[in-house]
Amino acid sequence: MGVPLMYCLLRKTRAGRPCHPRHKPMPSTFVPTSDPTSVPRRSQFTATVTANEPLCREHYKLTLQLDSFPNTEPGQFIQVACRDMAALYSPETEFDWQPGQMLDFAGRELMSPLALLRRPFSLAGRRDSSSGVELDLIHRIVGVGTDWLAQLRPGDEVNILGPLGNRFTLPASNEQAILVGGGVGIPPMLYLAEKLAGRDAVAFCGALTRDLLPLTIIPDTTNPGEDSFTPQPNILEFARHGLRSVISTDDGSHGYRGFVTQALEKYLDRTEGDRATPIIYTCGPEPMMKRVARIAADRGIECQIAVERAMACGMGTCQSCCIRLKRDATRDGNAFAGKGWIYKLACTDGPVFKGADLLW
Amino acid sequence: MPDLSLNLASLPLANPTLTCSGTCGYAFEYADFMDLSQLGAFVTKSITREERVGNEPARIVEVRAGMLNAIGLANVGLDRFLAEKVPLLKRMPCPVIVNVAGHSFDDYVETCAAMDGLDCIAAVELNVSCPNVKDGLTFGTHPGRLKELTALVKKVLPHKPLIVKLSPNVEDITHTARATIEGGADILSLVNTFTAMAVDIWKKKPRLANVTGGLSGPAIKPIALHLVSRVYRTVAKSAGVPIIGMGGVQTWQDAVEFILAGSSAVAIGTALFVDPATPNKICQGLTEYLVKMRIDRLSDLVGALEMPGDQPAKSTYP
Repeated sequence: MGVPLMYCLLRKTRAGRPCHPRHKPMPSTFVPTSDPTSVPRRSQFTATVTANEPLCREHYKLTLQLDSFPNTEPGQFIQVACRDMAALYSPETEFDWQPGQMLDFAGRELMSPLALLRRPFSLAGRRDSSSGVELDLIHRIVGVGTDWLAQLRPGDEVNILGPLGNRFTLPASNEQAILVGGGVGIPPMLYLAEKLAGRDAVAFCGALTRDLLPLTIIPDTTNPGEDSFTPQPNILEFARHGLRSVISTDDGSHGYRGFVTQALEKYLDRTEGDRATPIIYTCGPEPMMKRVARIAADRGIECQIAVERAMACGMGTCQSCCIRLKRDATRDGNAFAGKGWIYKLACTDGPVFKGADLLW
Repeated sequence: MPDLSLNLASLPLANPTLTCSGTCGYAFEYADFMDLSQLGAFVTKSITREERVGNEPARIVEVRAGMLNAIGLANVGLDRFLAEKVPLLKRMPCPVIVNVAGHSFDDYVETCAAMDGLDCIAAVELNVSCPNVKDGLTFGTHPGRLKELTALVKKVLPHKPLIVKLSPNVEDITHTARATIEGGADILSLVNTFTAMAVDIWKKKPRLANVTGGLSGPAIKPIALHLVSRVYRTVAKSAGVPIIGMGGVQTWQDAVEFILAGSSAVAIGTALFVDPATPNKICQGLTEYLVKMRIDRLSDLVGALEMPGDQPAKSTYP
């Protein structure tokens, strides 16, 4: 194998940084012809990384800066290209090694594949200012795509597509919002908490163990032992919006020892008749969400669930992110009239569904 | 400015980029993400006579340089297609090709017959090669049955060009290609996905609920290119039947390869999931390539691949 051929396997040395000196990225976003002063419609955008900080083991908080981005709401997600998209469309995509150029033979590219499809991420926060829009994503290294994301440094560019999906319906003024997040399902709860600032709301966050909680825990604020399911201002991300929270870990390394659903049940039982009508919002591993839906159904509490599904497009075309719902004639018309259930797409019909509708 | 337009049999297209059935929805799903008016033609998801829920999840899994899908032809069925989707397709700013799948001769004939009178539909593509459906007859791998099906459908579709999409999961694709042409197909499209699988080593189970799925994406491009080249040289060129080439097309360079190998047009599938604007970018790249190569019309490039033993063509490169 000649050097130029080897080089084609090695072209990209760092995420978002084309290694070739002659590389001139072509514009990789489709620019819609709309009024530039208005809020842009959903599309592809090139975002600039402003921070990519480790939060805990395997989890990172990625902050992206854009000049503008369409309006978004908690529950919505974006599709992130976890690879250098500009290089894909570079005019020089043939083997363009030049004499004298150093080759990175130890590069990760040789051994690791590229993420082909985009990866969906819930929005974990958003800040609008005169200089543009900042979006927060929380990602956990689970494969080639998220590994690429973890390598991003401030100044790198990321191609994102969105916003996609539906949204959580915010509680009525007389309702108490109960947010239940498990592990990497916590991010949409953080964005929801932004919108619930000053409202009657509590958050329950659980993980296997303390160092898998992608949160800033305020020291000495979690009650020990039996009282550990009483909400406290113990998570910075929630406390700054006035929400008290309960932390649970399966191994008891912080807060309530056990599942977040057990802490939730104890809280609901103890505060029965003592609080406003609750409404539960949840995102996390599927067994956890199923249990939350059961707990809500048993107590007659409304429950909104942001589901996670394997997804290729996120735009309603590939039909891969289907989830089973009870068939509802008013919603579904004459579709699959002979059936008691119907598949809906997590990307366009969801990701937020009512717990009572889901058959999983 | 080079001319990207072409005629696919009797179907005039402004440029050679099509979408692959099943990767672009029914109509306007990508309207926010690409310029549909800049498509050569839009190809719908497969329509069957009856609505289908499709396979159980997991329906999709990413593999190295590709993906497997086993959707199972989930679609709204003919009645709801006519009631809900055709009104949308009437507003589509490019020619529309409807993809039709079925499980029996009657299925195909009835669905295709319903398309013949619709002005908003420019052509029909037969999906005879979905690898993910277990019920019903298989047409795509059986030359005799394929020829009979093509002939029956052609009879109920006198006003529309008929495209038949060939499966690569056959012993010799030129046999099915020839059978399709003998049956009266106006255009061939190839290839559909390759039957493949992936294993979850921790659960010791297949990663797709359907066990097998269709492999698509950059991983299949070299194989698809070979099959297009083979069908073009062996069957299609002499019969004067144009080819829509597909299989892992992601960049304009990929498109040029397919066109040189004998495709009159190229269809983009899996790449749309990553970047719905891929067809628009390919057109831009093709234009720049033609300028650089001093070629006026893209159609002059179709099948211009020089094989060993061919008479060398006069070079157009400066």
